[in-house]
Amino acid sequence: MTCQISLDRINKYYGAYHALRDVSLQIDQGQFVALVGPSGCGKSTLLRTIAGLEGITDGTITIAGEDVTHLAPRARDLAMVFQSYALYPHMTVRRNLTYSMRLKRRTRAEIDHAVTEITRITGLEGLLERYPRELSGGQRQRVAMGRAIIRDPKAFLFDEPLSNLDAALRVHMRAEIRKLHNRLGATSVYVTHDQIEAMTMADHVVVLRAGRVEQQGAPLDLYDRPVNRFVAGFIGSPAMNFIPATVTPDGGHVSLELPGQPVLRFGGRRPAGEAVMVGLRPEHLQTGPSPDAANRLTLPVAMIERTGAQSYVVCDTVPEVMVSAPVRVEDTDEIVLGIDPAQLHLFAPDEAGLRLDI
Amino acid sequence: MLRKYGLLAIALGIVALYLFPLYWMYVTALKSGTEIFANPPTLWPHDPQIRIVEVWNRLRMDVYLRNSFLIAGGVTVIVAALGTGCAYVLARIRNRWMDAVLFAVLMMQVLPSSLMITPIFVAFNQMGLLDTPRLAVVLAQAAKVLPLYIVLVRASFLQVPRELEEAALVDGNSRIGAFISIIVPLARNGIMVSSVLIFLQSFGEYVYSRSLISERALQPATVGLQSFMGPNSSDWAGVMTYSAIYITPILIVFVLLQRKIVSGLTSGALK
Repeated sequence: MTCQISLDRINKYYGAYHALRDVSLQIDQGQFVALVGPSGCGKSTLLRTIAGLEGITDGTITIAGEDVTHLAPRARDLAMVFQSYALYPHMTVRRNLTYSMRLKRRTRAEIDHAVTEITRITGLEGLLERYPRELSGGQRQRVAMGRAIIRDPKAFLFDEPLSNLDAALRVHMRAEIRKLHNRLGATSVYVTHDQIEAMTMADHVVVLRAGRVEQQGAPLDLYDRPVNRFVAGFIGSPAMNFIPATVTPDGGHVSLELPGQPVLRFGGRRPAGEAVMVGLRPEHLQTGPSPDAANRLTLPVAMIERTGAQSYVVCDTVPEVMVSAPVRVEDTDEIVLGIDPAQLHLFAPDEAGLRLDI
Repeated sequence: MLRKYGLLAIALGIVALYLFPLYWMYVTALKSGTEIFANPPTLWPHDPQIRIVEVWNRLRMDVYLRNSFLIAGGVTVIVAALGTGCAYVLARIRNRWMDAVLFAVLMMQVLPSSLMITPIFVAFNQMGLLDTPRLAVVLAQAAKVLPLYIVLVRASFLQVPRELEEAALVDGNSRIGAFISIIVPLARNGIMVSSVLIFLQSFGEYVYSRSLISERALQPATVGLQSFMGPNSSDWAGVMTYSAIYITPILIVFVLLQRKIVSGLTSGALK
C-alpha cells in the first residue's frame, strides 16, 4: 500500500483559536477514512485544509508524494462532495457533471464518453438536461457524486454528504457510497458526526475532539479498545455506561458506587483502593442466565424503551444504566445482568479518562 | 370589512396624491394654450392635441436625449465595471476592517451633489476635464452612485452560498474563473436590477450636468428642459410634452423592472 495523503503535524489557528492541534494522519491508496467527532471538533476544517480551501498555520500536507501545503485547490486534483451538494444552480445536470472537464478543455468526444459512463454508474439516465432545482434530494446527491467521480481524482473528500437526506434515504445512500468505493477503489476521506456512518463505511476511523486526534484505527479496534472515556462514549450506540468504582483490596475486583451491588471481577489486576470509572456497553450487559454466576448485577428498572428491532431497559440508578434487552422483554421491576469480565473497561476517573490496562 | 375598505381608500388616496403631478403632466401636454390657463382648471382636456413630433423637432430633443443616453450609459458601464468586484470582496471578506470600509462607502452616499459640485468643479477645471464636459459629468455621477450600486449588489452576492464557489475551486477553477462562471451568473438578477437603477438615476441627473456642461449641444435632456422654462416662457403644453416624452420610457422600464425584482426575490431557491 502506498500512502496517498499524508498530514504531518497540522496546526491551524483562527486568530487565537486553536482549531487543529498537531494532527498527523496517513491515508493509504484506496483506503476509506472517516473523520468523526462532535460538532466543532475540527473535522470539517481538517477536510477543508486537505482540499486547500483553508490554509494551515503549521505542518505539511502531502498528496501522492507531492508537497501541496501551499498549492491552490485546483492544483491538488481532489474531488469534494459538499453537505449542501453545491450543485451549480444555473447549469443543467450535464453541465454540472462536465464543469471540471470543460475547464480542462477536454474534447467533445471525451466529455460525452465520460458523461455516458457516469450516468450509468450513478443512475442519472434521463435527468441530464434537468436543472438541480428540478431534482429530488437523492438525485442531487447522485449528481454531486457523479461530478466528483467524473474527475477521476487522486482522492475523494466528503463533507457530511448524507446529513441533508431523510433517514431511509441516508441508509440507502450510505450503502451506495460504500459500494461505489469498493468498485472504484479510490482513496476517500469522509467527514461525519454520525459514528454509525463512520463505523459502517470506513476502513479506518479517526476520532477528533477539540482539534486533536483522540484515537484512530480500524472501526472494531476503536469499539473494542477505546483509548479513553471520550472515544468509549462516542463510539457505540447507545453510548457506553460509566459507573464510578473502587478497586477492592484483592486487586482483582471493583466495587461499584451503586448501593447494594456485589463486587465485579474484571479479569486482571489493578492497585488496591484505586478509584476508577467502569465502562460497560449496553449490549454487553446480558439479561437472563449468565455464564459467570458470580459476576452479576441486580438493578431496579425505571422504564423500557421498545424500538421494535431492539428494546432498551433504563435502570433506576445514579448514574443511569442503559441495557440492551431482547425485543420482547417483559415489564419487570428488577433486572439481573451478567457481565463478562473481558467486556468490562476501566478508565481513569479524571478529566482525560485514559484507559487503564487490566 | 369596513376597516379593510377604509384602509384601501386611504391607500388609494395617498397613491392618487403621489401620482397627481404625473397625471397633470400628461393632461397638460394634451391641452390647448387657453385651456391650460382656464379657471377652474379642467381635469380632462376638451380638445386633446398631440404635439410630440412638433416639440421633438422644435426643442431639438434628439440631441438632448442622445447626451442623456451617453451620460447614463457611461455612468452605468463604469459603475458596473468597478462596483461588481468591489461588492463581491465586501460580501466575501468579513472582518472589522471591511465593516469600516462598508461604513465609509455608505457615508459617501450621504453627501449631496449640490454640496460636492463646487469642489468637483474646481478640481475638474484644474485637471482640464471641463474640455470634455460629458466625460466630467460621467465621472462625477459615477462617483456619486457607485456606493449605492456596491451596497445593492453586495446584498445579492451575500445570497450566493460560499460552497458553490468552493466547489468550483476544487473542480479546478481559479478564483477569478469561479467568480465569472459561478458567482456572477447567480447574482445576475441583482446586478441587472442595480445597473438599471443606476442608469435611470443617471438619466435624470441634473446638478452635475447643469454645472459642468455649458455648451447647449452637449447638455442632457434634464438641463435642456430647464433652459426652456424661463420667466417669459408660457409654452406649458410644449414643456409638458417634452417631459412626457422624456419620462414615459423610464416609466415603462421601471414597471418592467418591478416585475424582475419580484421574480428575483421568489426564485432565489439556490439549494
